[in-house]
Amino acid sequence: MSLKPNRFRTGAIIWLLAVGAAFAASDDEFKSANQLYDAGKFTEAAAAYARIEPKTAHVYYNLGNAHFREGKLGLAILDYERARRLAPRDPDILANLKFAEQRADVDDVNAPPRAWQRYLHSIITSRTSTEWAVYELSALWLTILAMGMWLYIPRLRTGLLVIVVVGSVGFAASVFALGREVIAGGSAPSAVIVAKETDARFAPVADATVHFKVVEGTRVIVREDRGQWLLVERADGEQGWVRSDTLERVAVRS
Amino acid sequence: MMRIWLVIATTWWMAASAHADVSVVAAVDRNQVAFGETVTLTISVQGTQNGAQPSIPRVDGLSFQGPSTQSSFSLDNGHMSQSISFVYQVTPARPGQFTIPAIQVNVGGTAYSTEPIQLTVGKGMTQADSSQQLFAQIRVPSRQVYLGQTEPVQVVLFARADVPLRGVSGFNYDADGLEFKFLQNPKTGAQVINGQSFNIIGIEGSISPNRTGTLNFGPCILKAQLTVRRQGGNSWFSDPMFDQMMGRVEVKEVPVTVDAVPVEVLPLPEEGRPADFSGAVGQWKLDVTAKPTNITVGDPITLTIKVSGNGNIDTVPMPKLGSLDGFKTYDPTTKTTKDDLNTTGQRVMQQVLIAKSTDVKELPEIRLVYFDPVERAYKTEVQSPIKLVVKAGGGGHTTIVSGGGPLHVDEKLGQDIVYLKGDVGPVPASVPLCETTTFWALNAAPVLALLGTAGWKRRADKLRGDVAYARRTRAARKARKLLVSAGSYDEIQRALQQYLGDRLNIPVGGITASIVDEQLVPRGVNGELASRAKSCFEACDTARFAGGGADMSVQATRENVERLINELETKPL
Repeated sequence: MSLKPNRFRTGAIIWLLAVGAAFAASDDEFKSANQLYDAGKFTEAAAAYARIEPKTAHVYYNLGNAHFREGKLGLAILDYERARRLAPRDPDILANLKFAEQRADVDDVNAPPRAWQRYLHSIITSRTSTEWAVYELSALWLTILAMGMWLYIPRLRTGLLVIVVVGSVGFAASVFALGREVIAGGSAPSAVIVAKETDARFAPVADATVHFKVVEGTRVIVREDRGQWLLVERADGEQGWVRSDTLERVAVRS
Repeated sequence: MMRIWLVIATTWWMAASAHADVSVVAAVDRNQVAFGETVTLTISVQGTQNGAQPSIPRVDGLSFQGPSTQSSFSLDNGHMSQSISFVYQVTPARPGQFTIPAIQVNVGGTAYSTEPIQLTVGKGMTQADSSQQLFAQIRVPSRQVYLGQTEPVQVVLFARADVPLRGVSGFNYDADGLEFKFLQNPKTGAQVINGQSFNIIGIEGSISPNRTGTLNFGPCILKAQLTVRRQGGNSWFSDPMFDQMMGRVEVKEVPVTVDAVPVEVLPLPEEGRPADFSGAVGQWKLDVTAKPTNITVGDPITLTIKVSGNGNIDTVPMPKLGSLDGFKTYDPTTKTTKDDLNTTGQRVMQQVLIAKSTDVKELPEIRLVYFDPVERAYKTEVQSPIKLVVKAGGGGHTTIVSGGGPLHVDEKLGQDIVYLKGDVGPVPASVPLCETTTFWALNAAPVLALLGTAGWKRRADKLRGDVAYARRTRAARKARKLLVSAGSYDEIQRALQQYLGDRLNIPVGGITASIVDEQLVPRGVNGELASRAKSCFEACDTARFAGGGADMSVQATRENVERLINELETKPL
């Protein structure tokens, strides 16, 4: 019986040492990659950043910088977008994402067409899915707590009703935002065009009529996946079929 | 007062020089055309903008539409140039040789005359092929273009009205030396040629020559899609729409070839080429703004230079600024927009300038030199120096507020990405919270808790407010509690009385064996259960009053009563 706590303690220490060693190793790789970048070896730096696991917002950000210096604007925008998903309010990430989009001349294409859509998009993308999940839980618990108190404390009902209404609105809003984030990573994933220029066609066949051209760095939503062909939607709602090797999904699944 | 004199002097000078060197020239964009095509006739009055509209003489076989007018004015090193052009669309009524006679233009009371122009109208493809069902044609407004010029081109497919033309599925062309762009969505329409009605599909495009000489645009091959009825189909009902719905039609592709059209590409003329010409070809307009113009030393001035117009914007460099010695400058930002065919465009440059001292009085002159292929002449757009009022600053140190901090002299404004991160940063969770079981459990827990709380509250309220319900609910528990501690028949009977009293919501004191017939039997307790209830009472009464004459022990009686209560609990009394 007395062995169990010791075993647990030993296991915990081994785990902590393993995790610490992994982080120390990734930190060394990160600094080595930064040195390659500083030496102007952007391709080697990009390869080094790509090898680092787990990928943090900073790793994606530096990888985006290396791709930008290589002239691969589509990949740079993809990396900055991945970094933004993990750290949505980091000013450096936002600045470089915007600058890369301007350099690729896709800042107008990537922005939703209407002002309210742009405003909504900016709010939703200003938080991570985990933050939205925490907001949703907080709003739910607050609302439920107020409803429970409403049952037992009649004299506080007016104030509690206000809390219930506010909490319900907050709950609905955070569920909506969380839903959008989950959809963006799952059933309708966001993606970025990484080919220099590709044709979006009316049908998933090579000789179908070209509907519009999509340039490197354009952000799209994948509406349908048919293996080699994907039905994508631009920010302005235009849809067309592109080859699957011309884009990369933003969400990274292990 | 000074301003009034300046205005008067300028007006006099303009009036005096208005008719100094006036010349009138008439030109057509081409002298040989096919029947069915139109010719553009331009009458240019150089040296004034006051020319009266020319009176076009009547020419048998030619009709004139217009005019539209274009005027230009520029000031270059004190030399003023101005012109006005009258543009007519000339449509031949038949093939043949035509002469557009001398046209008179009245300028300030003096009549000027143009040279006659010869025009040859060939039979052309349109007329020759109008008997055909399906043919194509290349339309180029001018067969003479300049290097760097962008000229619109149209490739048109004609299908007689009885031909079931569905669309165009392919388009191949040969345009060696001519960079050809075209719109993906063809335009459709209809046209009547020699009394025959044709459906047309036009591919809009543009050519930009990249070398001089006579180059060919074409031949082109258009794949026309025709809807054809399948062989062997039932012919009793032959409505085309019905056939299409029933799948009785198929689409056949028919290649339609159109011969090459020669285009003469001219080099830009050496004669009259300004020294600062940088290759801009087209018809361009220069707009310059500077804000603010009333500043303190150190304040930034945003200079916005916009070039817009017709032509290939890619040939247009940013206009040259004069000396900027008195300014601190930052790298400009440039944004270029153009249409899909690159026939119109706009380039906007923004530059931040900072006046170094109060000696700065104006922004330098800005010039844009370009070649106008329509008027076949070099032109210069000039923005005169913009006056500045520069006051002395407080500290004398030059800064621009950008993002709340001072700007270093070598820093570029928004021209590069932000540098690397120095550390790996926080490690994100391997699985987002919303994809974990914990998240869903945390969502379900408060909802279940609320439902439970509401139910419990409702029950508690009912127990408080409904005595019968409260007694009925607690009857069994209360009776069992009494039974546990019951050591005599009297106590066992009291427990049974308590149970029945609570269960039926009647006073406990008067309950005897007669309650079975009076209360339980009317409520549906019959047979064996009723007789057992009665025997429990009788057993207790016998033991209590006869003393030791009871058939059952206290323990057995208690167990009997307990079973009785359990069974009565299952009955809806």
